[in-house]
Amino acid sequence: MSFGFMIGVFGVLILAHAAYSTIQYRSLLKILEEEFSGLPMNVVGELLLGLVFCMWAALTVPGKFLSILPYSEENRIVSLPDNLDFMVFNHRGKVFPSKMDLKLKR
Amino acid sequence: MAGHEDSGASKKKTADSSNDLPTFNAENLQNNMKIIYYSRTFLSIIGGVIAGILGYTGLTGFVFYFLIMAITSLGLAAKAKFSIHSYFDCWNRLLLDGFLGGLLSYVLFWTFAYDIVHIF
Repeated sequence: MSFGFMIGVFGVLILAHAAYSTIQYRSLLKILEEEFSGLPMNVVGELLLGLVFCMWAALTVPGKFLSILPYSEENRIVSLPDNLDFMVFNHRGKVFPSKMDLKLKR
Repeated sequence: MAGHEDSGASKKKTADSSNDLPTFNAENLQNNMKIIYYSRTFLSIIGGVIAGILGYTGLTGFVFYFLIMAITSLGLAAKAKFSIHSYFDCWNRLLLDGFLGGLLSYVLFWTFAYDIVHIF
């Protein structure tokens, strides 16, 4: 498991804890017979922290973007011809300078 | 945006500049779209849980969804190092794809978390 995935699991656990704290806060309000107006500050902070962690995980876990431009450096495919077994380099032509480039692009 | 495409086209050989049709690596574009769908679906679910815990009802929850998706778009643009046109063919791919499908997941988990936390 990668580091980003662990961060995501941690964020979900924080969110679960925040939900549990909220349930307890609601039951406390029920005992005190007060109205629910808003969440306590530490639960809101927990939610924000969980959101930040999950955002981090969602942006890093799925993988990297790949370039779609056909002439970019990442998409260059250097391939060799199929008939390598039939190639002979040790012949009389090697004394002449050649301008052969094997850099083939698809 | 148009300037970027022109500079990209000028790098090509002169024989290719006769046809202006832009060519893309479709396989890599599909890979990028898959990453976007993954991020948006996951963050819709998380946003729904958070909205449910916060106790949002009605229009406020939908405004919160728009906020989450805006932050997600910003994060994805930052992930693409703000050079959108080397990873996607247009801006709408980054901003709009997966929006409606994410909304359905969002509403599902919003009501789910709200029911668990505030009603039961």
